[in-house]
Amino acid sequence: MSKRILTVDDAATMRKMVAFTLKDAGHEVLEAVDGCDALNVLKDRAVDLVITDLNMPNMDGIELTRQLRALPAFARTPIILLTTESDPAKKMAGRTAGATGWIVKPFNQEQLLAIVAKVLPA
Amino acid sequence: MNESLQQELVKDLLVESYEGLDLFDRELLGIEQGQGGSDRLNIIFRVIHTIKGTAGCIGLGRIEKLAHSGENLMSLLRDGKLVATGEIVSALLSLSDALRGMLRVLESTGSESTVEHTDLLAQLERLQIAPSATPAPVVAKPTYGLFDDEDDLPAAAAAVAPIDEIHADAEYDAENEPAAAAHHETAPTAAVITASAPVVAAVAAPAASRAPVSEAPAADPSRSTASVADNAIRVDITQLDKVMNLVGELVLARNQIVSNTTVFDQAALTTAAQRLNIITTELQESVMKTRMQPIGNVWAKFPRVVRDVAKDLGKKVRLVMQGQTTELDRTIIEAIKDPLTHIVRNSIDHGIESPERRTAGGKADEGLLSLRAFHEGGQVIIEIMDDGNGIDLERVKAKAVSKNLITAEQAGRMTEREAINLIFLPGLSTAEKISNVSGRGVGMDVVKTNIEKIGGSIDLQTQCGQGTTLRIKIPLTLAIIPALIVTSGGARYAIPQVSLLELVRLEGATARTGIEKLCGAPVYRLRGNLLPLAFINEQLRTAPGLGRSIGDDDVINIVVLQADGRPFGMVVDEINDTEEIVVKPLGKQLKGISCFAGATIMGDGRVALILDVVGFAQHAHVVAETRERPVDVAKTSFVADCDKRQSLLLFNVGGKRRMAIPLALAARLEEFPLSQIEHTGDSEVVQYRGQIMPLIRVGNYITGGKVVEADPEKLSVVVYSENGRSVGFVVSSINDIVEEAFEVQRHASGRGLAGSAVVQGHVTDLLDVPALIRNATPSFYAVAA
Amino acid sequence: MSTANQYCTFYVDGLFFGVEVLRVQEVIRFQEMTPVPLASNVVSGLINLRGQIVTAIDLRRRLALADRDPAELPMNVVIRTDDGAVSLLVDQIGDVLEVDADNYERPPETLSGVARQLVLGVYKLKDNLLLILDTDQTVDLVEKTASATAKAA
Repeated sequence: MSKRILTVDDAATMRKMVAFTLKDAGHEVLEAVDGCDALNVLKDRAVDLVITDLNMPNMDGIELTRQLRALPAFARTPIILLTTESDPAKKMAGRTAGATGWIVKPFNQEQLLAIVAKVLPA
Repeated sequence: MNESLQQELVKDLLVESYEGLDLFDRELLGIEQGQGGSDRLNIIFRVIHTIKGTAGCIGLGRIEKLAHSGENLMSLLRDGKLVATGEIVSALLSLSDALRGMLRVLESTGSESTVEHTDLLAQLERLQIAPSATPAPVVAKPTYGLFDDEDDLPAAAAAVAPIDEIHADAEYDAENEPAAAAHHETAPTAAVITASAPVVAAVAAPAASRAPVSEAPAADPSRSTASVADNAIRVDITQLDKVMNLVGELVLARNQIVSNTTVFDQAALTTAAQRLNIITTELQESVMKTRMQPIGNVWAKFPRVVRDVAKDLGKKVRLVMQGQTTELDRTIIEAIKDPLTHIVRNSIDHGIESPERRTAGGKADEGLLSLRAFHEGGQVIIEIMDDGNGIDLERVKAKAVSKNLITAEQAGRMTEREAINLIFLPGLSTAEKISNVSGRGVGMDVVKTNIEKIGGSIDLQTQCGQGTTLRIKIPLTLAIIPALIVTSGGARYAIPQVSLLELVRLEGATARTGIEKLCGAPVYRLRGNLLPLAFINEQLRTAPGLGRSIGDDDVINIVVLQADGRPFGMVVDEINDTEEIVVKPLGKQLKGISCFAGATIMGDGRVALILDVVGFAQHAHVVAETRERPVDVAKTSFVADCDKRQSLLLFNVGGKRRMAIPLALAARLEEFPLSQIEHTGDSEVVQYRGQIMPLIRVGNYITGGKVVEADPEKLSVVVYSENGRSVGFVVSSINDIVEEAFEVQRHASGRGLAGSAVVQGHVTDLLDVPALIRNATPSFYAVAA
Repeated sequence: MSTANQYCTFYVDGLFFGVEVLRVQEVIRFQEMTPVPLASNVVSGLINLRGQIVTAIDLRRRLALADRDPAELPMNVVIRTDDGAVSLLVDQIGDVLEVDADNYERPPETLSGVARQLVLGVYKLKDNLLLILDTDQTVDLVEKTASATAKAA
């Protein structure tokens, strides 16, 4: 079933790849360039899943997760972190903030769809 | 991944990464200059981080690997575990160069570079002497997972990267993220890499250039394939929306006109046409705006250039930039990129002195290079200023003589301006030795040519010991320019407005007599100055120039233009109107004709040629290749004809005696404090522009007595120059400059007087300059001869 | 049969020429031209082809043949080149012909002068000979312009 997914990344190429992969899989995709932008996009729209980069200007992925979790509408929305961080602390910070899962960059389309399938029961 | 997506992603990666690396360099230099802070560290980290992540995702393993090695070092910097030493900054700059190189190869060949960058990788590795540098054990880690679902982790990892297939890459050993390396061994990604090669090739370079591509930056400014980053611009969405709306309106207006042409309702048609006119103008402005880019885009790389060049030469240079947001059409931005870089390098190489020399000369050891851009009169001015040693014009002249560009005699007679212009002659480089920095085969002549090619001009001012200022004037856009339309020999020509000074129309008697011949060359006296003329019909061989005699009904139209900083007059049959024209290039069959810059389509659908003013002037020989100013006899004396208007400089001598000389004879007006006056023999002299200039007290000479000047503290002096030597006429006061027609009453007796005339209603003595000089300082002509 | 052997044909001073169909952008009737002073005399002028500025080369002059009677208006055969479109002015347009490669020959020895440099080869047709024009050479005026200027100077 088609879901609505928000992808948040300051790197346009990454965003495009994620968006394309998800659209190809039949999902509706919204895009945002950083945490602030994501909050803006989500102001009047609900989504089934948020996939966000960790390291972004203005507001990073961890702060975005924290802020979304504070909103009743997004308290249960799955959030997946994109990361290349080798630093486990960052990942833990994401977990503490309330993220649902993570995927290490670089990843391929199959891997992305696999984690999406995990958090979004059909 | 499908091919077109891959292709698009690579294109995006290139644009994004080039931009990112420029930002990287800028921020890194900021850090090096101690304007650090975690913000900058975060920014540079993110740039490399993004390149690494994106490159990895689209299967560019080598770029990813290189970026990765830098990322490790930078994360140590960011976390405060390392301090950015000069060595680290240099290594990181090398990293950004190496990445750019790899991107360029990717862009032009479609596949990744095979250069290993082993030294750089080793260096980046070595610099990571983190406090706890114990390498973490290599553990297979999953690529993705859920935090609440710990059991999932090993399974997920196995699914993607079986542990026995993990690639023990030295690079990845150092850090504990082997899953990323393992990922490259998985089949889908490998397939992507091969698939990408032919696709990407189509993006940028012609397939023919499949030869190994060097990662070195293309030094040749004439390189034909523009980088993707150069071909892409970011446009403000609101701007695009506006363009789209206007296009919509344009279509509506077109439809109205089309439907009205069948009905032929004159009033409705007129309204629609007016509407169409307004929309078109707005659309034109809007589209032009989308092409505008801030000049800061070009300047962005200068901090890096300045740093590198200064470091190479052991100099200290502070770069100040003002007006980065000044916008120019992107084609112009492209065109000035290389000339500006050259000028900047030149300023540091030849202009700014070594710290030791600066300190010895009483200057701060750090040189100042300032770039300034601003709008002025519909053009953009770019100033490049340094506080260095200036240009030694005597050395420039000597060099030009030694290279046989001019004769020693010409050099001796040159004015400062003419000497400065020598710098722009081909084949003249003022550097005593060719250095790494500026000895790149491009001279100031190329810079000048390139700037003139886009309708710009360049001007240089220098003061020995004080510094040099280059001033570049460029049009805002190339695509659409205002032009004066003229008709000649039955054809219309467009003359770019930037070169236009004024229009002169001669009628009746003036038409018959206004044009004179000087040594066979037609000239016109424009406010006392001789304006060389070129007849467009004659030059373009479309009709005879001044072959027939001019009757009373005839009119002569002179378009006064400027080429190479010198005015000349173009005689045309008819002057029409000013119009905005769209510049279109000429086919290669016509490229060799220097008189034309292109062509345009006129309102009636016919083609009109656009004149290349500089090319035309050279073709017509109205601006000489070597800028030797002919000393024309005509202007050194008063014109006898009473119907000639002439510009005069009016002054007083001995209190209230009114005198005048032709304005053209006054090279400069100066004031000298009495303390500057020195004596040689029984003459008074002053040191002036590196010469000893004799002074002639005109009052004493004319009256034969001793005149006390009005201001005892300083002397007003009119400087006259000939053959590179000057003489100063001391006067009581300088009154006015007038343009008048007057009748000269000659009288034989006057010492150094040509006669007198009624000027502005007063009797005024006219000075006979050559006679006065001959009598007062006979040596002036003796030496010159 | 492939288009490679299809030729757009035209007449110039009684000679029958062909240009590969793929090289021809379009054929249009005579257009008003703006002459280009100082250009080589084979350049007749510039035409406005739907906003594109196209150089028109008079094939008679290019082939050093006699000038066309001024009363007769030439036709434009607009060809594609690496440097954009160029128009060749010809006397009259013929049909698009499919020719048999067996009838192809190198240019005959009798062909002299400039024409020899510009003709790639000849097809022997039933009634006449079809001369295949080398369009790249035809639009390349570099040498010609240089010598024209030299003569003028």
